[in-house]
Amino acid sequence: METATHQTDEERLIQGLKSGKEADFQKAVRLYTPGMMAVARFYLDNGSAEETVQDCWVTVIDAIHKFEGRSGLKTWLHRVVANRAKNHLRKHKREVSTDFSESLDPELASRFAPNGRWATPPSLKFNDSAQALMESRALSDCLDQHLSHLPEAQRSALMLSEAHQHKSEDVCNILDVSASNLRVLLHRARQKIFLMVESFQETGEC
Amino acid sequence: MLMCRDLAHIASDYIDGELRPMDKVSVKMHLLMCGHCRTFIGNLRASVDLMQMHSSQKVDEELVKKIDERVAESLRLKD
Repeated sequence: METATHQTDEERLIQGLKSGKEADFQKAVRLYTPGMMAVARFYLDNGSAEETVQDCWVTVIDAIHKFEGRSGLKTWLHRVVANRAKNHLRKHKREVSTDFSESLDPELASRFAPNGRWATPPSLKFNDSAQALMESRALSDCLDQHLSHLPEAQRSALMLSEAHQHKSEDVCNILDVSASNLRVLLHRARQKIFLMVESFQETGEC
Repeated sequence: MLMCRDLAHIASDYIDGELRPMDKVSVKMHLLMCGHCRTFIGNLRASVDLMQMHSSQKVDEELVKKIDERVAESLRLKD
């Protein structure tokens, strides 16, 4: 997903949304929907998340006039989705339950001996820079596949913090988690990605 | 003494510079002596870089079209 890189691009887009230009809505929908889905999926199942994101875009038509630009457009949209998803949860009297108690991934934990040293150490260095690794289409597809299998909470934390590069303060706010719980989610998700890349490098398969 | 397993627990905090100074020193000392953990930290860091570049969360075309239609309809109603 691309993001509006220049402030001026974003300002122009916001102006278009405020004037109700359909083409600008189409552009914004393509830019921001994946991130908004990552937020909604933290709270809701896929069907309800899609509905919530659709409803959000309709409310944005009016709500954009209240947007004052104190945060970026992306952060604002993510907050709008989070509030709507939380309301949906309250209406249906459901709570999000997430395990924050263990920071070590079970698969990684099993690679240590009882004395705390590596029993199965990392077998090789990721020999290329991340840039070179990303150029492998197969790895990129594998990453997508693994991301889709991550627990929702971990995936949302990872997507918002890393792919969307929100400040951790914003992620805590959007996902309603404490700073320390966010750190656990992020660490768990990163270990999964580490294990995936390692296995991919060893076997050449996803 | 910090063991490899302990380091794995706090590796993300180390990478993100979120450790207390004392813990950071313990990690650095451990890394001086332990090649496996140096590889682990290097690979975990590469995983983070990878995620930062991987923003390819694919746009779900079907969903995006539904949104376009609903937005277009609402815009028309406003006119």
